[in-house]
Amino acid sequence: MTRMTSMKDVPREDMLTHGHGACPGCGYAATAKNIAKMLGPNTVVYVPASCLVVFGALYPYSSWKTPYMFTAFENTGAVTTGIKAALRRRHLDATVVGMAGDGGTFDIGLQALSGAAERNEDVIYVCLDNEAFMNTGIQRSSATPFGAWTTTTPVGLEVKGNRRFKKDIARIVADHDVPYVATLSVAHFTDFVRKVQKAKEVRGFRFLHCLTPCIPGWRIEPSKGVSINRLAVDTGMWTLYEVENGVPKVTYKPKAMTPVTEYLKLQGRFKHMSEADVRQLQAWLCAKWRAHYGEEAPSPPCVMPGHEEVLAHDGDPLYGI
Amino acid sequence: MYEIRFHGRGGQGAVMAAQTLADAAVRIGFQAQAFPYFGAERRGAPVEAYARIDTAKIRTKSQVYRPHLVVIMDASLLELEGPASGLRPDGKVVMNVAQRPEELDLGAGVDAECGTVDASSIALETLKMPVVNTAMLGAVAKVWNVVPLDAILEAIEDRFGGKLGRRAGMLNAEAARRAYEATVVGRTQGKREYVQPKRWLPVWDEIPIGVSLRKTAHVEEEVGPATTYQHHTGRWKWSTPLYKKDKCIRCLRCWWSCPDAAIVRQDDDYMRWDLEYCKGCGICADICPVEAIDMLQGARGTWQ
Ligand SMILES: Cc1ncc(C[n+]2csc(CCOP(=O)(O)OP(=O)(O)O)c2C)c(N)n1
Ligand code: SF4
Ligand code: SF4
Ligand code: SF4
Repeated sequence: MTRMTSMKDVPREDMLTHGHGACPGCGYAATAKNIAKMLGPNTVVYVPASCLVVFGALYPYSSWKTPYMFTAFENTGAVTTGIKAALRRRHLDATVVGMAGDGGTFDIGLQALSGAAERNEDVIYVCLDNEAFMNTGIQRSSATPFGAWTTTTPVGLEVKGNRRFKKDIARIVADHDVPYVATLSVAHFTDFVRKVQKAKEVRGFRFLHCLTPCIPGWRIEPSKGVSINRLAVDTGMWTLYEVENGVPKVTYKPKAMTPVTEYLKLQGRFKHMSEADVRQLQAWLCAKWRAHYGEEAPSPPCVMPGHEEVLAHDGDPLYGI
Repeated sequence: MYEIRFHGRGGQGAVMAAQTLADAAVRIGFQAQAFPYFGAERRGAPVEAYARIDTAKIRTKSQVYRPHLVVIMDASLLELEGPASGLRPDGKVVMNVAQRPEELDLGAGVDAECGTVDASSIALETLKMPVVNTAMLGAVAKVWNVVPLDAILEAIEDRFGGKLGRRAGMLNAEAARRAYEATVVGRTQGKREYVQPKRWLPVWDEIPIGVSLRKTAHVEEEVGPATTYQHHTGRWKWSTPLYKKDKCIRCLRCWWSCPDAAIVRQDDDYMRWDLEYCKGCGICADICPVEAIDMLQGARGTWQ
């Protein structure tokens, strides 16, 4: 099998096939599809409760061409460990991958994830991060960004949206001293391919953290899913890096920092944000930018929207649904 | 007791429509209930919602299998299964379609009074978005005289106004009023036979180990541990990509970014579109660096 270094080398055959029930434009589905394809047929997939479980395999139908299993929400780390142990016992060599949502990783699956990472189990853990519990109707998780509307962080008169900043799960996993941790964006193709290839080769616990836009949850146009990922990287909302054997390395650095408002205004979930909130988020981003890229950020080019209209997504197609 | 079944797609507001109709019925002294089919629906996927209306307390809690009124919010749903299945002999149908009732075929055995209205256009004009639920309720008032228009308008203004603001409430009521005026009432007589998929529901030890998937299984063949190849999700779509091969520089971005694996990369790295599965999200057109893909309004085609 040749090493995959760019999109051209990615196999043509899909392992997560069409006919699945994801929303049109789902970034989660595109990401899972590409990872499954690159891991190939000799793979066992585990998926806990999440969108992927319901759109990818509702009995009696399945979109997976590989062996597939699911049990409960909280135990991706434990079940993938078990599958690997069973394969080892039978002298079978296959890639074992768990694909969980951010809720199933950051929050409810954290202890099993930590256990598997600490034992350095030979599995790949993929976190498909759509920044909320989407399958059950958009509830906040500890991956939800500052300011975002969710059903559990509603927009009221006093408090508007989520007040906490996103948890840095990749750093937490990397601190378990695992061989490979990387962050991915489906819009950064070559970087994505390189990282999945690396995860496929390395032995031991590997963690891939993917940003995956959600159409109803982020209140975006279905066609914008992938390009919004690009903006997330350009604004610093998402950083592409990897930690290989404890050594962190930024794998893609945008030329200049785009003001976060460019990212916010495309998404209905941010449209209530006040000037003060945007400023606070931008300040957090600038600090994060410096921490990752190790130099002074260009002075935060915060073009502040004064009022709601500026942020409001033009004719938000999902408004009120 | 009256039983009503709504057929729509995720995002069209079938659930809100059922609730609003029940609400309107309560306003004029009926007892009512409304609830959705509990499934794992996604935006664009077929959904059902139900309402029951009675003068006495309603104790039935099941789904609606024998409706007095069927409301079909999307014409493409006719391609999937018979949404009029179980309709009572004196039952009525309301459908979002530009054609007249006589031109419809809701399946063999369906001979019913029917109202048609182009609710999509009304919704786009009034609300500036393709959410047809309130327009459909206006059409319901025209065809089915149990709950009058006034009660429906009041319920719409309260429900939508309370949730989305007063202006939204008024616009939605306006959509209903316009649909009431525009609805054409007639009769529909169905002839088409719907094929019922054969059901094979195995016990646990009959399921192939590991994989619940048979690549060879096809639509209308069987249901059982099977592949989602059988789900023609391309019928969800509202717009269709048009590929202009001569412009394509074979960068593979569309193929990579399609969430539905509906773009097939051929040996020469040109693309082929499998429109049976394309949901029309428009990502491929958005991502193409040379504008080799156009999005056309409406669902069309199977292969390109
Ligand atoms: C222990 C447990 N609690 C709650 C649920 C209900 N539940 C199913 S999926 C889900 C949300 C999953 O969120 P996330 O992991 O972020 O994945 P996403 O839906 O965003 O894909 C919840 C709360 C469950 N299945 N099990
Ligand atoms: S709710 Fe979001 S993550 Fe789930 S299928 Fe829809 S777009 Fe994808
Ligand atoms: S519109 Fe394009 S990206 Fe979207 S499902 Fe269809 S082929 Fe795929
Ligand atoms: S994105 Fe455009 S240029 Fe690239 S392969 Fe697709 S159609 Fe061709």
